[in-house]
Order: sequence, then C-alpha cells, then structure tokens
Amino acid sequence: MSTAPDTTIWTTLKELPSNVWSSIFRNPLPNTDLERSSTSFTNFFLHIHPVKVHRNTLRPIYTLGLGLISLFLFLILVVTGVLLMFYYVPSTTQAYDRMLDLRGTVAFGIFLRNMHRWSAHGMVAMVFLHMCRVFLTGAYKKPREFNWVIGVLLLLVTLFLSFTGYLLPWDQLAYWAITVGTSIAAYAPLIGKQMQFVLLGDTTVGQEALLRFYVLHVAVLPAVLVLLAAIHFWRIRKDGGLSRPQPAEAAAKPMVYKKVVYGLQGFVRGPFTKVGNVPDDSVYSWPNLLLSELFVFVLTVSVILVVSLLFNAPLEQPVNVMHPPNPAKAPWYFLGLQEMVSYSAFWGGIGIPGLMVALLLGVPYLDRNPKGVGRWFAKERLLANTLFLTLVTLNVIFIIIGTFFRGPNWTFVSPF
Amino acid sequence: MRLALAIASFVVLIVHGLVFHDQFFHRWERHQTAYFEQARSLSKNPRERAELEARAPHIEQIIVTSFGDTRVDRCVTCHIAADDPRFAGMAEPLKTHPYSAALGDVQRNGHWERRHKFSDFGCTVCHEGQGRGLDNFHSHGEDEFWPEPMLGYVTQANWRKDFEPHLKGAAYMEAACAQCHTQQDFAGTPHVNRGRKLFYAMNCYGCHKIDGISEGTLGPDLTEAGKKFKIDYLWESIVEPRANLDTSFMPNFHLGNDDVEALVIFLKSRRGVNFAETTLDRYKAHIENVAVVIPPGTAGEKAGEQLLADRACTACHKLRDRDGGIAPDLSYEGLIRDDAWLMEHFKNPRSRIPDSIMPTFRFPDEDFERLSAFLGSLKTPPAPAAADVTYQQLCERCHGEKGDGAGKVAWYIDPSPRDFTKQGFMSSKPRDRFVTSIKEGVPGTSMPPWGRTLKDDQVDGVLNYVLKTFAKIDAPSPKQHNVPDHNPVATSDASVSRGEKIFLERCTGCHGRKADGKGPNSLDIFPHPRNLRNHWFVAKVEDRRLFDSILYGVQGTAMPSWIDYGLSKEDAGDIINFIRGINPSARSEQPHASN
Repeated sequence: MSTAPDTTIWTTLKELPSNVWSSIFRNPLPNTDLERSSTSFTNFFLHIHPVKVHRNTLRPIYTLGLGLISLFLFLILVVTGVLLMFYYVPSTTQAYDRMLDLRGTVAFGIFLRNMHRWSAHGMVAMVFLHMCRVFLTGAYKKPREFNWVIGVLLLLVTLFLSFTGYLLPWDQLAYWAITVGTSIAAYAPLIGKQMQFVLLGDTTVGQEALLRFYVLHVAVLPAVLVLLAAIHFWRIRKDGGLSRPQPAEAAAKPMVYKKVVYGLQGFVRGPFTKVGNVPDDSVYSWPNLLLSELFVFVLTVSVILVVSLLFNAPLEQPVNVMHPPNPAKAPWYFLGLQEMVSYSAFWGGIGIPGLMVALLLGVPYLDRNPKGVGRWFAKERLLANTLFLTLVTLNVIFIIIGTFFRGPNWTFVSPF
Repeated sequence: MRLALAIASFVVLIVHGLVFHDQFFHRWERHQTAYFEQARSLSKNPRERAELEARAPHIEQIIVTSFGDTRVDRCVTCHIAADDPRFAGMAEPLKTHPYSAALGDVQRNGHWERRHKFSDFGCTVCHEGQGRGLDNFHSHGEDEFWPEPMLGYVTQANWRKDFEPHLKGAAYMEAACAQCHTQQDFAGTPHVNRGRKLFYAMNCYGCHKIDGISEGTLGPDLTEAGKKFKIDYLWESIVEPRANLDTSFMPNFHLGNDDVEALVIFLKSRRGVNFAETTLDRYKAHIENVAVVIPPGTAGEKAGEQLLADRACTACHKLRDRDGGIAPDLSYEGLIRDDAWLMEHFKNPRSRIPDSIMPTFRFPDEDFERLSAFLGSLKTPPAPAAADVTYQQLCERCHGEKGDGAGKVAWYIDPSPRDFTKQGFMSSKPRDRFVTSIKEGVPGTSMPPWGRTLKDDQVDGVLNYVLKTFAKIDAPSPKQHNVPDHNPVATSDASVSRGEKIFLERCTGCHGRKADGKGPNSLDIFPHPRNLRNHWFVAKVEDRRLFDSILYGVQGTAMPSWIDYGLSKEDAGDIINFIRGINPSARSEQPHASN
C-alpha cells in the first residue's frame, strides 16, 4: 500500500486491462469462503442474493424454478418488447400493416414477435404454476403472508399485461378477444359500464382503446410489475429466504456463533437471520445458487427460442368490425371466465372471479395453521390443498372446455 | 448440473444459428441473384453488364398512392424481371409480365409500352394478394386469414374443394378492373357486365341492396360484397343459399356455372366507393336510383307493369313465365282480388293475411295505385281444362304435386296449405266445406276464392280429383256430432274470463299464450296450430265448426277431442266467446268487448 504505483506509460498500458477489470469487479474469482461472501456482497447484481442460502432453496424438486422462470420470461419480454416498440405504431390504420412488415420484411421481426408472444403466454402459465407451488408447499404462512399477497397482485398484473398486449396486432383475433374481455368487465355491478368506458375510451374497441392498451402495456403495467416484483424479491430475504421445513433436530449440525462478525450483516438481525444459535444448513450463493439460476435462465431461453422457431405467432385477418368470428373467444387464460359467463354473466364474469381473487388474497390470513410448511402436499394441509386443487382443476377444466369444446354460438362441439 | 447447462447452452447456440440462417438467406435473394446472372448473359451492353455486376439483392418495392389506401407492393422483389422484356420465355418468378393490346399496351418502334405502368399501379391493385409479404404463402394470399388472395390464381386451403376448379382463371381479375372501368359495357370486363345483367334478370336486385344499383331490403346489403367476402363464399352463397344460414329464404336459382361465375365476378367488384367515383357521385347515383323511372306519358296499367318489373315483385311471386318461387301466383289477380284488397295488402301485407311474410314496402301511394291497376287488369281466367290440368295450374304451387301440402312455395305460406293426403281430415269434413273453401277461398290465408275463375262444375271436378287421387276416398263421410249451430253460452264478461282461464290451462301449449298459434309445441306440429288471432279467419268460421273442432278434435291434425279430456259444451262455449272476444272485427259486433 505504501509503495507508490509505477506510473510509467508502459506499465500503465500493460496493466490497463486488469486495472479496468478489477475496478469493475472488486473481487477476483473467489477461492475462499470469505471471498465467496464478498463476491455476492460487493456486486450490484449479485447482492440481491444472500451470501449463503439454505440447502432447501436449491432443491429443484422443491421450487421447480417457477418463480425464476417467470422472472426470466419477463426479462425476455422486456427485451423483445422494446425492440418491437421500434416498429410498432398504435394506430388502427397502421398497426396491422406494421405486423405484416414485422412478419415479412423486418430482419428478425417475426422471430421477435414469436418470442414475445410465446413468452407472454408462458409467463401467465408460469406465474400461475408458481402460485400453485407456493400454495401446495404452504409457503405463504407466517411470516410470508404479505409476500403472498404481493404475489397474487403480480399474477393479476401479469394477466392484465398479457390482455393489453393481445389487442396490439389489431387483427380479428385481437379485436374480438378484447371486445369479449372488456364486455365481461362491463358486467361488474355499479361501475361495470364506467370501467369499460375508461378502459376503452369509447363504447366500442377502436383507436382510443388501442392507444390506451398500448400505453398500459408498454409503460404503466411494466412499471407496476417491476415495482411489485422488486418488493416481492426484497421480502423473500426479509422474510428469511424461501420457506423450508422446520429442522428436525436442533443440535445435529454445526453451529454458527455470535462471535463471528460479518460486518454489516450483523445488523440485519430479524428473527430469521442465520446469525445465532441456528443450525447452519446453508451453502454459499456463489457458485451454488448462481449456477442454478444460470441453468434455469438458459433453459428458459432455449425453450422459448425453440418454440419461436417452430411456431409462428398467429396473425389473423385485419379487423373487420362488421364480421365477428363465431364464436369470438377471449384469450385462453380468460376462457374459463367466458365459459362461466355463458352460464351467468354476473356470477361467471365478476362474482366468482372476484370471490376467487378475494379468497386468494385472504388465504394467509384465513389459514393460520402453522404446520406443514416447506413440504409438498403436507398431511397437515390436506383440507387446504384439496380445496385449492379443486378450484384450480375446475378453472382448468373450464378453460379446456372454453378452448376446445366450444363452437359457433358457444354450442358444445367435439374437437375430435 | 454442468452437463445440463452445457446442453441447454448448446441448444441456444443451435437455434441462434438457425434463426440467423433463416433471417439472412432469403429465397428472394436467390431469385434476384439468378436474375442478375441471366440478365448479364443476355445483355449486349457492357455498361449494363457492369451495372448488373455491381447490383446486390435487396427488397424492391412500389409504393402506390393513387388507388385508395397507400399500398406497398414488394412483389417485384421476386418478380424482378416483370418489366424486362428479355425474360418473356422464362419461368416464374423471373418472367416478363405479358404485354397485351387488350390491356392497352402499345408497340412503339418494336418496343412494348405498358398502359398500366407498374410504377403507377403496383401489382395488388389488379392482382390483389398481400403486397407487403416476401414469401409465396403470405404474398400470394394463400394464408387463409388474408382477405384478398390473388384473384383467379390462388385458392385458399380452407375453401370448398368442389368449388375450387371454378374459382381459378384470369376472368376473376375483371373484378379489379371494374374498380376503375365502371362503364357498364366496358369491353374489358365481359364477366362483370354479364353479372350485372344477371343481377337484374334474376331479380337479385329485388332483395339485395347495392348502393347506386338497387334498393332491395330483404337480403344482405351487397354494396361491399367484394370487400367482405372471398369468391369461395360468394359462389357458395349463390349455389347453396342455405349453406351459411339455415333460415335463409333465398331461392336456389339453379344457374349454370358460367352464370354463377359472372355473378361472383360482378359481386367481387362491388366494394363500396370504387377508385373511379367520389362519394358525391355515389350520392347522386343513389338519388337517381331511388325514384324508379316511369317513362313520361305512361299511366295506369302500363306504369304498374313497369313498376312490377322494376320492383322485382316476381323475385318472389309468379307472373306469367317468371316465378320467384316464394309467394303466390299473381296471374289471375284481377279475378280473385279486388282493388280494396290489393291496396290494403300493399300498405300492410298483414292486414289481410295476418301471418304473411311479405315485407311492408314504403312506396308512394301513387305507385301502389298503379300496381293495383295493373294487377286488376289481369282478368283472363285459365282455359277450361281437365281437372288434373286445372289442379296443376292453380293448386299445385301450394298444395304440391303429390297433394301433400308441400308445394314449392308452401314453406313460406302461413297457415300451411292443406295436406290432402291426410285421410282422417279429408273424410271427416263435409263436402260443402271443401267446396266453399275452393269457391270462396279461406279468409286470412293465402287460399284465394277460385270460384271467380272456375265454374261450379270445374270446382266439383277439381275436388273429386283431389279426393280420389290424393285422399284416396270416394266421398267424405263426416260423423254427425251433437253440437249446436250457435253458441248457446251468452257472451258476457264472466263467460269470456272463464273461457280465458280454460284456454290458458288447456290450449297454450300449442296455440300459445297469445292465442297466435305459436305455443312452445307448435314448431313440431304439422299443420301448425291455428292462429286464433287471425280475425279474418275467426270471423268466417261458424260456431258449429268451432264446437266440433274443440269437442271432437280435428282428424289428421294434432287437435285432440277435448270432450275426452273433460271439457263440456259450456266450457267450449266459454272458449269460443273468449276467442271471438280477442279478435277485433268480432269486437265491433259484440257489445261486451267494445268497452
């Protein structure tokens, strides 16, 4: 430290790369546990991770990586979405032509659109499955109640993001799906019609609706989603990491004692920090967690790439306001609703979904049985899991009926 | 773990390779390279050769702004030789677009010059297809979602296979020609012209509206048919009118393929305001067309005859050799209907026949009078003939060849024509009643009073023919039931409300809650239950017949014998009072209902 650096030109040039490198990455590739901690701790992108994570967190069979997949799909969506924005014009006269250009002429246009489309569908499915995972492992219980609530909100924002994006190609599929979707919203009591009007900026789907959906899709909702996701991730750590089963026997594992000082980490002492007389069953994030994450990322990207290569995103004929397709169907994730709407407009479109969302939001406050956390299908949670699975299955059945078994005039048809 | 990571990364790498290959090596580049090479070998001019040497493939496009919305036609990216006369003998896509004097191309100094320059017209103005696409599937319009496949060249995968052979051929492009060449006798569009003539000749204009051409209101508006429908759908709608809508009452005109093709091409050319006209032209044409032009000096009958043709009455009705196959024969109208009947009928077809499906046309009174005058002049009775010939002439259109009430127009007539093959009915009604029905007609229905065209012996002859041939009985043998000639139950509020109560309990299943014959069971019952609000009919029917029908049923129909279900004569009397009470003409005669 005391010796002045050699400042001759030659040495400066020679050491330039390593100086730049070390100024960016404060740590060399770690060899010791201290360096591994430091790597996680000093890197802006990595310090979202704890230095050490519980082994349970890394069990693929426990999380199935669903939350991470959702996040990575969102990242793909942001990147492809921004690129698509360079070409898209939210105008009823231009939007469809832009789609044709994207498909036929713009380099990588069709591929970007495919990736965006399939990632969007995938994200809706993955967020939903993630919720199922969290429920079935009882991970929403104290102290993670509020993070569950944020998770439910994230699901709703994801659905709405996908829904707003559905209109943008301005083809028949888009137009009539949104017409159906917003008509469902109009069934809400008292404010239904007003809500629909605010959403569409008109009484029917038109230029105003296209502009509103565009702004919601590219600016408002992504911002909301990023904010909520940030809170979601932050809370994971503040709530003590991912949920896991209660340790079976206390003294079997080596202890970490208070005497060990971890710098700033010493202050981060909620009820769940590992600093204390807690059996240490954790491993270093670097490289264990990071490698898992990298794997999930590459897997997600490769699946989306392959799907985008094989299947083109649909583009039907340009909007024809006079010619509704028969049947006009909402996007698949709302087809369960549409199917229920075909029985009762209010209950199918507003009543039951509203009740479901309310139930989901309230679950951690209603189910206060502390047992069965951190295990799939825990026996102690038989009732809760059965109820949940019944509702999920019902919804899935309705979606399947709505997607495959409904023909013209919403009559029952066989797809075979 | 690391192996899985490596495999996934490899997949990403491979897909990237494929995508880059897909995005950077296009078929159109190969076409263009081939073109440059061939053109170089054909070229005798060293400067041009050098230019071709230096050219690299890129997307070629023509931006067309003169014809409606701006078009971007990238067809010339592949069809790069379209305007290069040296490539006339080559294979597509590197083939010269043919030159043709018929298209207005002219030869000057041994060089052809195009009348429709690609730089002005682009390609899709004439050919349709999707100008922005860069691969066959999309740009030729093979994609079933694309509304404008290349006219006459491309049929889409979901089109009906049996029509497909008819839907190809350069003739279909006339539909595009007609967007600018709107003259009715334009030599370049023979199919459009023929289709337009057919549109009039086949009475299409009576039902369908096309802005500036016709004002029909019964069928769908075809003003923008060419924009909305693909030729496959147009063809299907003409040859199988009920293919898309079970309830369509458009007749099948059984046209030959050539006629259908001409009509399809004509309809394909109807796209609202076309390139050749302004919205103001359209409005002027509309104004002119609304008033049917009666040549000055034409009056009365003559004007009526002209109107009848202009308004396409024979699109439904029959007159002489023209038969729309939907509505009654007008040939003897002067004999069977009088002026008052006709006028009332014109102003509201349901005033005389309450269940008529004829639309209420809002023509000026003057026109109705002209029509009445003409129809009133049709007073030539059919030539005396044998009974079976008379039946064919007058009865068969409704009652059917086999006498089963299923004549060609029967489907549109309510109440349905009587089915003579129902022996139960035919043998259980007195002969008088049949004679009366034939001679005086049945008020409130489409059965006209044939007594004004037939002599008594002719009527007897037809009736005997019907009984013998269809009912297969010698003479009716009605049972004499003990029913009163006149309703013994006095008309009173009490009686009417008792009648209503019984009616609501027993009769609404078939006759409906409104007594209009449209109860929930009525659809499956033939003949349909009687509309008891048909006041012309109710006024005509005597109490005796009503008693007989209610208490002892109507054989050969679904009307049961209510005396078996516990109705008494008094109950029937109450019901009859109720039925007479709900019919307006009865009301004036019966003091209790007028308050």
